[in-house]
Amino acid sequence: MSDTSLIVGPFNRVEGDLEIRLDVADGRVTAAYANSPLFRGFERILLGKPPTEALTITPRICGICSISQSVAAARALADAAGVTPSVEGEKIAVLMHAVENLADHITHFHLFFMPDFTRPIYQGRGWYNKAVERFTAMQGSGLRAATDARARLFHIVGLLGGKWPHTLAIQPGGATKAPTSRDKIRIATDLKTFRRYLETQLFGAPLEAFVNLSTVAELDSWATGDVGLFLQIANDLGLNEAGRGEGRYLSFGAYPSASGPMFKQGTWANGARGDFDPALIREDLSHAWMLGDTAHPTRGQTLPDEDMGEDGYSWCKAPRLNDEVFETGALARQIVDGHPLAVALAQEASVRARIFGRVLEVARTQIALERHVAQIDPSQSFMEPVVIPDDGEGSGLVEAARGALGHWVQFRGGEITSYQIIAPTTWNFSPRDSNGVPGPVEAALVGAPVGEGEDTPISVQHIVRSFDPCMVCTVH
Amino acid sequence: MSQIETFYDVMRRQGITRRSFMKYCSLTAAALGLSPSFVPKIAHAMETKPRTPVIWVHGLECTCCSESFIRSAHPLAKDVVLSMISLDYDDTLMAAAGHAAEAAFEETIQKYKGNYILAVEGNPPLNEDGMFCISGGKPFVEKLKHAAKDAKAVISWGACASYGCVQAAKPNPTQATPVHKVITDKPIIKVPGCPPIAEVMTGVITYMLTFDRMPELDRQGRPAMFYGQRIHDKCYRRPHFDAGQFVEAWDDENARKGYCLYKMGCKGPTTYNACSTMRWNDGVSFPIQSGHGCIGCSEDGFWDQGSFYDRVTDLTQFGVEANADKIGLTAAGAVGAGVAAHAAITALKAAQKKTQSTKEEA
Repeated sequence: MSDTSLIVGPFNRVEGDLEIRLDVADGRVTAAYANSPLFRGFERILLGKPPTEALTITPRICGICSISQSVAAARALADAAGVTPSVEGEKIAVLMHAVENLADHITHFHLFFMPDFTRPIYQGRGWYNKAVERFTAMQGSGLRAATDARARLFHIVGLLGGKWPHTLAIQPGGATKAPTSRDKIRIATDLKTFRRYLETQLFGAPLEAFVNLSTVAELDSWATGDVGLFLQIANDLGLNEAGRGEGRYLSFGAYPSASGPMFKQGTWANGARGDFDPALIREDLSHAWMLGDTAHPTRGQTLPDEDMGEDGYSWCKAPRLNDEVFETGALARQIVDGHPLAVALAQEASVRARIFGRVLEVARTQIALERHVAQIDPSQSFMEPVVIPDDGEGSGLVEAARGALGHWVQFRGGEITSYQIIAPTTWNFSPRDSNGVPGPVEAALVGAPVGEGEDTPISVQHIVRSFDPCMVCTVH
Repeated sequence: MSQIETFYDVMRRQGITRRSFMKYCSLTAAALGLSPSFVPKIAHAMETKPRTPVIWVHGLECTCCSESFIRSAHPLAKDVVLSMISLDYDDTLMAAAGHAAEAAFEETIQKYKGNYILAVEGNPPLNEDGMFCISGGKPFVEKLKHAAKDAKAVISWGACASYGCVQAAKPNPTQATPVHKVITDKPIIKVPGCPPIAEVMTGVITYMLTFDRMPELDRQGRPAMFYGQRIHDKCYRRPHFDAGQFVEAWDDENARKGYCLYKMGCKGPTTYNACSTMRWNDGVSFPIQSGHGCIGCSEDGFWDQGSFYDRVTDLTQFGVEANADKIGLTAAGAVGAGVAAHAAITALKAAQKKTQSTKEEA
């Protein structure tokens, strides 16, 4: 088979638009180029507006992780105003944020990722009929159960935020909604309902049993629920070898509280944990259709290159930490937090590992939220008074479902002078940097098999989707 | 050309029982505000009429409309609606990808020429020949025009497709443009909101599929059954507005008492939508109930009307109370009057916008 170049895209079942160009030789991908073809210019729109507008505008970057954007904007403004949000208000923000992330993981698994295993190419495999029954797009029994469970889970956000998507209740000082004791009971009930779904459908066993797994060997004997079915598929198709990453992970730390974040902040590289220093972030523009120099987001600009210059191939900038590529997401979060199963999967860094990072996080988050809700005290204040100064700057670093999300804001005379956002998929789907080093997904695709005559290679679908790309956030 | 199936056929094929089907018909009648005598009519229509195919495309947007849609309240209604429109082509939910998806898109257009409904989420950016939103190697605006050419009607989902939404906020870097400015020769129904309420979306689409025509529209092209009244008219905090009891700061004593959020910038008095009656996420709440004012996301230009936290009194000429009372009275009087009052406000907003833009030029 000769050398060819393939353009794969548009990818459906991802949030937003994505195209990937592949160089193929001898039935294997030799190089990949990720292109985010959608640009809206949020960072430009925010310029000149009052800082508080960011609370309404930035969530609209994305209809699936809008609370993550909302929390990041609120944190950035609180930071600029030098205010610590009210303890109880922060609990509400954490609860809403975690619920959204949980729902995103469920959406990804059932609606975006698993339907690929029902393609005719897999006919005849031992698990095929079961997969079709559970995961056929828009019809499978697993999909129906998941969308239903997800809608019920979102009652919590509806109750606290008034609506989802695009909730307004999260503010720099806390949350506008002060729940009553009755609300607390409703929330606890909604969580209980969700646990029942997880234990009967997704895991087919108590959550605690999954959370207690600590080695890959133990994981390999998991046989129940949709997770068991995925494991069977993954091991049959060798997804533990597919889409291998570099094993470098980054997490900004998720869900703050008085006693520290629920999932720790930090990095993971060469098999060891490290500290994270936000000052070392740079956005490289060498292969983006953007004008300007490599810069930290506090000095970054968003000037689209309307000539779409030669070297560029994406609207996406290339974020790097200390000049190195990092992968971000649920797997990264769980590894950095030190969960033994996640750490055991850190080197594998495969399609399978990313999916298990996500379901592990689902189980852990659900358990943590049940405790979290019990600690909300309705008698306290949920909002700290905040005066946004005329001049200021701040940053808000949070963990969205897909990984590390940062907002950096500066304003003078009551008007925003700079607003830079780095979204999780900006990290994961970044183009090459000035050293020619490809972004995480570009690197993970190298070596993926491309069958004779396959113009939409199935292996590429699995690898790309294992990152759960959110393209609307990527470029914004 | 092969016979197109009826809705009923499709639903049965999806494993929906006769009993569930009848239940769905009553639900639909109720959701659309029709009397029970309509139930057999709906059932009859669905049993005998060929299914109307739907093509659902995505432009410059955030997918919040789809997100809203797939968690519609009644699981039954959602199941049925999803299976009956079976979204012949949907970028976000469908199984196919890449070239197969492009082929499916083309095939659907050819097969159902002149007969399908085109549902559009997001809008086309026109700047730089549309290069800011490329789908299948071509600017989205081309895909949109191509799909609209043979459509029976177009649904503009959400604020993006209807009006432009925040991505069209000044300076509108990509020149994001609402659908009706690009497609001018087809009936278009606008279902604004960011996103629209899920039940409004299923309601509109069910109506169109069931009765094979558009619901009654207001002067802005929105379905009157859902956008006929202001949030303010049916707001549960309205008595506090009338009594002059207002929240003065987030989570203050008055907020705990559930007073009116008007002084916190609530745009309920100028926003036409069903939030205060249908509510959100299975009817559990809506923004005002969560303690935050309405931002008016179903109104044209809501993103460029000054701060979301400024009072609507920025619209001068009316005194605070005069504004609310006058418009409140006329709106209560008749829908027609309500629309007129609304038009007046829109005109005012437009005037205000002009002043702002002059200021910028100066």
